[in-house]
Amino acid sequence: MLIGISLISFFIMHLAPGDITTTEAGFNPKASEESRQKLRELYHLDKPIIVQYGLWLERMSKLDFGNSFSSHQRPVFWQTTDENNNTKLGMIQEALPITLLINVMSMALIILIALPLGIISALTQNKLPDRSITLFVFIGFAIPGFWLALMLMYWTGVVHHWLPISGLHSMGSQNLSSFMQIMDTLKHLILPVFISAITGLAGISLFVRNGMLEVLNQDYITTAKAKGLAHNTVIYRHALRNALLPLITIFGLSIPGLIGGSVISESIFAIPGMGKLFFDAVLMRDFPVIMGILTIGSALTLIGNLLADLAYAWADPRVRKGVVR
Amino acid sequence: MAHLKTIQLLASLLTASLILCSCDNGKIQSSSTQLNAQYLTEQGGTLVDALSGEPSGLIAMLAGESSSSAIAGNIFNSLLRYDKNLELIGELAQRWEVSSDKKSITFHLKPNLKWADGKPLTSEDIMFTWRIMTDDNTRTPYGADYKLVKHAEAPNPLTFRVTYAQPYAPALDSWASLHILPKHLLQGQDINTSDFARHPVGSHYYQLANWKNGESLTLVRNPNSSQGPAKIDRLVSRIIPDKAAQFLELMADNIDSMALNSVQYARIFPARPELNQQFNLYKELGNSYTYLGFNLKHKPFNDIRIRKAINYAIDKQEIIDGVLLGLGLPVSSPYKPGTRWSNPNLSPYPYDPEKAKALLAEAGYTDHNGDGIVDKDGKPFSFEILTNQNKEREMTAVLIQRRLREIGIDASIRVVEWATFISRFIKTGDFNAVLLGWGLGQEPDQFNIWHSSQQQPGQFNFIGYENHQVDKLLEAGRLELDPDKRMKLYHQFAEILYQDSPIIYLYAGYGLPAIHKRVKGIDNPAPPAGIGHNAYDWYIPSPLRRNEISAN
Repeated sequence: MLIGISLISFFIMHLAPGDITTTEAGFNPKASEESRQKLRELYHLDKPIIVQYGLWLERMSKLDFGNSFSSHQRPVFWQTTDENNNTKLGMIQEALPITLLINVMSMALIILIALPLGIISALTQNKLPDRSITLFVFIGFAIPGFWLALMLMYWTGVVHHWLPISGLHSMGSQNLSSFMQIMDTLKHLILPVFISAITGLAGISLFVRNGMLEVLNQDYITTAKAKGLAHNTVIYRHALRNALLPLITIFGLSIPGLIGGSVISESIFAIPGMGKLFFDAVLMRDFPVIMGILTIGSALTLIGNLLADLAYAWADPRVRKGVVR
Repeated sequence: MAHLKTIQLLASLLTASLILCSCDNGKIQSSSTQLNAQYLTEQGGTLVDALSGEPSGLIAMLAGESSSSAIAGNIFNSLLRYDKNLELIGELAQRWEVSSDKKSITFHLKPNLKWADGKPLTSEDIMFTWRIMTDDNTRTPYGADYKLVKHAEAPNPLTFRVTYAQPYAPALDSWASLHILPKHLLQGQDINTSDFARHPVGSHYYQLANWKNGESLTLVRNPNSSQGPAKIDRLVSRIIPDKAAQFLELMADNIDSMALNSVQYARIFPARPELNQQFNLYKELGNSYTYLGFNLKHKPFNDIRIRKAINYAIDKQEIIDGVLLGLGLPVSSPYKPGTRWSNPNLSPYPYDPEKAKALLAEAGYTDHNGDGIVDKDGKPFSFEILTNQNKEREMTAVLIQRRLREIGIDASIRVVEWATFISRFIKTGDFNAVLLGWGLGQEPDQFNIWHSSQQQPGQFNFIGYENHQVDKLLEAGRLELDPDKRMKLYHQFAEILYQDSPIIYLYAGYGLPAIHKRVKGIDNPAPPAGIGHNAYDWYIPSPLRRNEISAN
């Protein structure tokens, strides 16, 4: 499966015109064509694509993702140490935790807000609260993220000096205590997390709302109400738990998205995450980095699917029994 | 109801977190009287600026991108440099001599030069750097100039001599752009993978103190600087890819300087007096010009009348006013206006649609069928203007399109991504007209761009320009080391280019730095070399310095 994915991505990548020698000093009259040809040979870019793929696969079999073309041979995935004990950190190794942190936090924020919103919507179906919540989440969904980001940066950063505008650390933050350093970074993360959450709110909250509505119309809810259970017990113990089941699938599918990162948001907030890394690599035709991210991404997608299936089986006895039988 | 309480709780939590974060950064806005007062020169302080892209490494000839040269230029020295009027002077070299046969150059180094780590810097280091540049395994696209050196020698620690097979006038410029690397730290290492690119040791005003990947680079003063001490203690370059975000950081006084775009310079700044109170605006002519180039191998652009017709049909001032908001200059030779290489007798083709129509008719193009588009042999005159994703160029193309429509030429516009642009269209010669830019470097040699021998795929005369006289002048210009004689050659070259009109010069834009008023000692108006030429003499008076988070 992974080999198939990597083969396809490798070929598509090479279908795009140009390579690292066109993007790196490709248009400087001081750079001669001979030197560029020499570079192409050093990177094996003069070989047929299938040979290049073979070379890549051979390295991959040793779990070696190679070194980036464009960033002075930094390792793509994980750190390496040379004979002089200088350690070079991997590019994905550095970018992934940042993106992961932002996406996990925004995912948590989405759940925290979307769950109650969805439940309220379902309980007040077609009444004022439902209508206004739906309106609110759709505004959040439709609003251009970069615009909202800039407006909030202006309002909280320039007008009021409440929050830092961009980046991950304040200047001189290395002089702070480690607790204050963490607080500093968290402060920098508030806006990016908020922006990424507000656009994702609509999907989850409507999902919860519709799931709830479906469950609330089921016979066993009527039964539960009829036998005189408290309103809250019916809603939270019986209805909600069943309504949440399909969410597991959504979360499983969102695992690859967690490492993806957003180019626009990362550029605006000056956060060195995965989205920016991938985007720059494509523009520079930095093949090892593109392949590294695609391979890790597809591996995680496969794992995500597997985890979603397992979690579903764990959470829903009907599925589990079906599997066992 | 319970869920409403949950909402209330959430809301109050959010508010609480906002209030918690609103703890003030301790920023003191200096009053304008304080900012405008006179201060004595003093050392210290931190200057923060913004970079749009992160350098890949700090060995500039391997990295190639502008952010790398910008940072590395503060860390490494070259043998020579350009002064404020763009004349060559010595940097590591105290003086240099050209032999009587003009084939060899001898550089005499300043005495007692040191690397930042205290080791002596000698001609051996220069020899070593030259060897690296000419080594076939070095992954640099810039080796060509140095490979012309037939013989290099370092007869004593203070002397370095290079000998060329024939006189080569651009040589001096090539020694002004080569950053000298330390032999004692790099010997025996593979320069392509060496950790040195991320932990460089140089000899210039600053040394690298800290590099946070994707976030910032911090330079501190080099106590062993070969050029004497710089005034400002620390230079911090924050990596902020988005221009709008940079501008917000500037407004919030988190960075001291950035390069504005024309809208920020000509529209936002005048409308906001509070910004003008805090920042000085500067204007320096940039190092490139934008042009419309034709594929001279394709009909009808091989006809000089067609090229001139299009030149007369385009209103350059309109483009400068509309696209650059007036912040640019028209050019009429491929050299920076105001420098010695630019021919003062040439002025841009005027906007004259009637003359353009007459020239078109002379070449056989008139509107026979009355559809508003001129045609010849039943074929309407239409072509495609190709450009890369660059807002200024896209807008320029639109203005050109309209003006061409007025004289009956149907131009369409196509915008493509850079790498695709180069390999799919430029290298294959599969284009009619391109809207692009060329550099206006300090070195006048443009052999690679205009000489008829430079038309192979991947070379830079991709428009296919061939002119015998120009070839001769370019060859002569490379052999002539006397600046005044050289200047005459290039004036003549520009004149022929002007008559042939193989490309249409559109404009050279201004660079528009905004710098906080706390930074003193900046030349205004900017000299030809730009305001950065004396950046080491800039200073920040202590009452105006930003509060910094200091060690507890």
